[in-house]
Amino acid sequence: MDAFLNQTIDAYYLRIMIIIGINIILALGLNLITGVTGQLSMGHAGFMSLGAYASAILSIQLDAPFALALLGGALVAAFFGFLIGIPTLRLEGDYLAMVTIGFAEIIRVFFLNFGPGGKAVGLSGIPQNTGFTVVWLLVLVVIILNRQLLTSRVGRSFYAIRENEIAAESCGINTTRVKVLAFTVGSLLGGLGGGLYSHYMYYINPQDFGFMKSIELLNMVVLGGMGSIPGTIIGVVLLTSLPEMLRIVDEYRLLFYGALLVILMIFRPNGLLGDVRIYDIKKWWGKKGGRGT
Amino acid sequence: MKGRFIKRTALLLCMMMVFSLLGGCASNQQTPQQGAPAAGDKIKLGFLGALTGSVANYGIPGQKGMQMAIDELNAEGGILGKQVEGIYYDNKGESSEIANITTKYITVDKVSALIGDPTTGLTKVAADIAQKNKMVIFSSGATGAGVVEIGDYVFRNTLLDTVAAPVVVDWMINDKGWQNLAVITSNNNGYSTALTPIFKQAITEQGGTIIAEDTINDGETDFSAQVTKLKNAGADALVFTGYYTEAALIMNEAQKKGLDITMVGGDGLYGQDLAKLGGTAVEEKVVFYAGFSTDQPSPETAKFLTDYRAKFNEDPDMFSAQYYDAVMIIAKAMTDANSTDPSVYKAELAKLTDYPGVSGVTTFRADREPTKSPVCLLTVKGETFPALLDKLPVEVK
Amino acid sequence: MFWEQLLNGLTLGSSYALIALGYTMVYGIIQLINFAHGEVYMFGAFVGLFLVTAGANIFVALLGAMAFCMLLGMLIERVAYRPLRGKSTRLSALISAIGVSIFLSTLMVLYRGPNTTRYPAVLGDSTFQLGSLQVSTLQIIILVIAALLMVVLELAIKKTRVGKAMRACSQDLEASKLMGVNVNRIISLTFATGSALAAAGGVMVGIYYNAVWPYMGTMAGLKAFAAAVLGGIGSVPGAMIGGLSLGVLEIMGIAYLSSSYKDAIAFAILILVLIIRPQGLLGQKLSKKV
Repeated sequence: MDAFLNQTIDAYYLRIMIIIGINIILALGLNLITGVTGQLSMGHAGFMSLGAYASAILSIQLDAPFALALLGGALVAAFFGFLIGIPTLRLEGDYLAMVTIGFAEIIRVFFLNFGPGGKAVGLSGIPQNTGFTVVWLLVLVVIILNRQLLTSRVGRSFYAIRENEIAAESCGINTTRVKVLAFTVGSLLGGLGGGLYSHYMYYINPQDFGFMKSIELLNMVVLGGMGSIPGTIIGVVLLTSLPEMLRIVDEYRLLFYGALLVILMIFRPNGLLGDVRIYDIKKWWGKKGGRGT
Repeated sequence: MKGRFIKRTALLLCMMMVFSLLGGCASNQQTPQQGAPAAGDKIKLGFLGALTGSVANYGIPGQKGMQMAIDELNAEGGILGKQVEGIYYDNKGESSEIANITTKYITVDKVSALIGDPTTGLTKVAADIAQKNKMVIFSSGATGAGVVEIGDYVFRNTLLDTVAAPVVVDWMINDKGWQNLAVITSNNNGYSTALTPIFKQAITEQGGTIIAEDTINDGETDFSAQVTKLKNAGADALVFTGYYTEAALIMNEAQKKGLDITMVGGDGLYGQDLAKLGGTAVEEKVVFYAGFSTDQPSPETAKFLTDYRAKFNEDPDMFSAQYYDAVMIIAKAMTDANSTDPSVYKAELAKLTDYPGVSGVTTFRADREPTKSPVCLLTVKGETFPALLDKLPVEVK
Repeated sequence: MFWEQLLNGLTLGSSYALIALGYTMVYGIIQLINFAHGEVYMFGAFVGLFLVTAGANIFVALLGAMAFCMLLGMLIERVAYRPLRGKSTRLSALISAIGVSIFLSTLMVLYRGPNTTRYPAVLGDSTFQLGSLQVSTLQIIILVIAALLMVVLELAIKKTRVGKAMRACSQDLEASKLMGVNVNRIISLTFATGSALAAAGGVMVGIYYNAVWPYMGTMAGLKAFAAAVLGGIGSVPGAMIGGLSLGVLEIMGIAYLSSSYKDAIAFAILILVLIIRPQGLLGQKLSKKV
């Protein structure tokens, strides 16, 4: 399949599509934490780097098969997501945001001093196992599982916590457990995306996963619409391809990007598809097709 | 119900793929088929380097050097009778950007060669893609290890740190008698973290002692704590392996704290801003090596200097010279091979011997690593930047 | 060496404190992390640079930069935040702030290029011995100016009518509106005050470290935000204490622990403090409203 695609599609466009796929996985993870559960996380790049480094080291040092490396990376990230989830029991809002920023910075500094990761020189020679098929198959699986999770009992308690934590608690939701769960699953996806990224890029270094990367991912979730799977996907597609299209105006690209964020927020403050869930699209889709459910 | 959901999600994803496919095909039709680079009238060269972001200081002069070389080639009739066109995208110093751009150059723009990147890490990313697509990449600044090992399409023309650092350490210990040295590394700078071990090894091998080690980070301005520590350490000289901005700021702080010490570093310290930012704090107190010097230039360099000043109204630096040379060397290889096909002219490129470029005399060894001689030892003296302190010869092994 | 390092820490910390004040004041009133604040600080430093290069006295430059950034802060609030107020979540305001931040730093890069620029040495620097301690006059001047600005701010908030209105708004925006406070004007003034302080911080950092560059706001803003949270976001004395302690912590981390892990140490301590005292050092613990 990959060989066929490589022949028919221009490598440049194929590349962007793969990056979009990876970003969808990353952003869906963040969406679960911030968009759905309402716990502002500004350090998603930290989980991404954990997954990227862990899986790359597994591949390079231990010759682990690709699937195992990806799984390892995702699990490492999930473990730290679980750890970082614990302070959320006591913190909220911007204090939590600060802890996530701090945590991501600590991870970045750790990798800057981490010998097996090549320190600031970075890690190169990572086998390039990530291809179009793998990425988009995983995207499909993640979307379906994500959707299953969100329509389940646990998923609805995620939304409940975002809307009103105290009310959720008095309805018998174990908010502690649910919040930690959201962090764990969200960072698992972050780690998975990181693993795919490192096995696609061939070379990673700690500066790739800085504060701006976290912000970029957060932008994708908020721009598309918080808590909405289709919204997140649209946010990713837009924010990944837009800078590429703006390459013509190169110098002014970031200027446009900044202005665009402000304008979009003024006119669509809840994101392009704020809280539109797959369920809503389905209803709309069903009606349009004349086969209402 | 669940079945329909999955079906529709799949449909949605398929539609997105088809969309992107259409985009891809549409652009394919506009340009000639893949695999035949430079089928058009022009020979295109792709620029790799940052025009914005924290390493733009290397990309911008590089772009000017490349532009100048291309203009000169075109004025003399181009390469093999074809005009040359430079394409300049900004990679912002980010690895994901350079990966996208490199792919775009090769598959969409159909360039005949890639010139750049000035940093080692990003060069590796681009080199891997270039090698897989059988495209020549010619880095004008990557000094770290593991670049040309990526494959036979990867070249570079820089003064290698492994060649220059031992020569300079020899000068420090044996000529100057500086035995007790302090080393400062810029911890988030790949160039610096790679150069430090080279310096440390050379110091130990030649009988020097490292009495203090510290780190800073690029992009910071407060180095008061490190300088206070350094002052208490009492070293004869300071080896700093990072870039010139931080070098100037460290020396400023040292002046403020009344610490009189000489700083020695690599070609990362080569930048006009060293003198501009450091002022009196760096004058004759910072010594660094480079393969290129505008002070006491060779005839080739002198001509380049005059032309560059006339064109851009500023002094060139190492990167302008190396990008300029890179274009000229590639033009020479294409002419000698009578082909613009990377798989053909790369053989001519590998044979390059004693090429008298504006950035020094370059020879490619059997392993395609460049040797440049001599090593220029530079400093800041009054209004002159850089001022030549010494020329240390290098033996070609 | 300890006392010398402590002085280094206080100098660095006072720049964090001045930036943190802007974060904390804005946050106290409209619960917005004003991400563009770091860029306002950067603009302040550059405006000061232009004035000094044009031959202005350093104090004129300081006041000029503060005045310019007051207007800039009010403009940012008017264009990017006010249209969002009331009809959107705090997160979308945050994204808007990030947009402004990217816009402003790119603007400066386009205008000045990405390089670091030298700040002319406008204040003659000399060092004197205080026992075994070597003190630079510049450090003293900066500490004094910072302290002075903070005292003036504290008095303004405590004693003036506008200050009273600001405190009222931070307690309850709706109720203040009902009491006849012109909320829009107060918010605008809060942005102006915070931005002016950031500009002062920018000019002083420029003078002390002799360097300004377009991306200087990002990391400084992040650190100052950390300082504000450490002190208890929303609390003005908290921002001062948070800023100073973060500066001292960082310098001591380099001096006695490891400079490579400097940022990690600072953030780790921050996280620990927050876990033990979730409302920050001087923050008020608010009970959740049902």
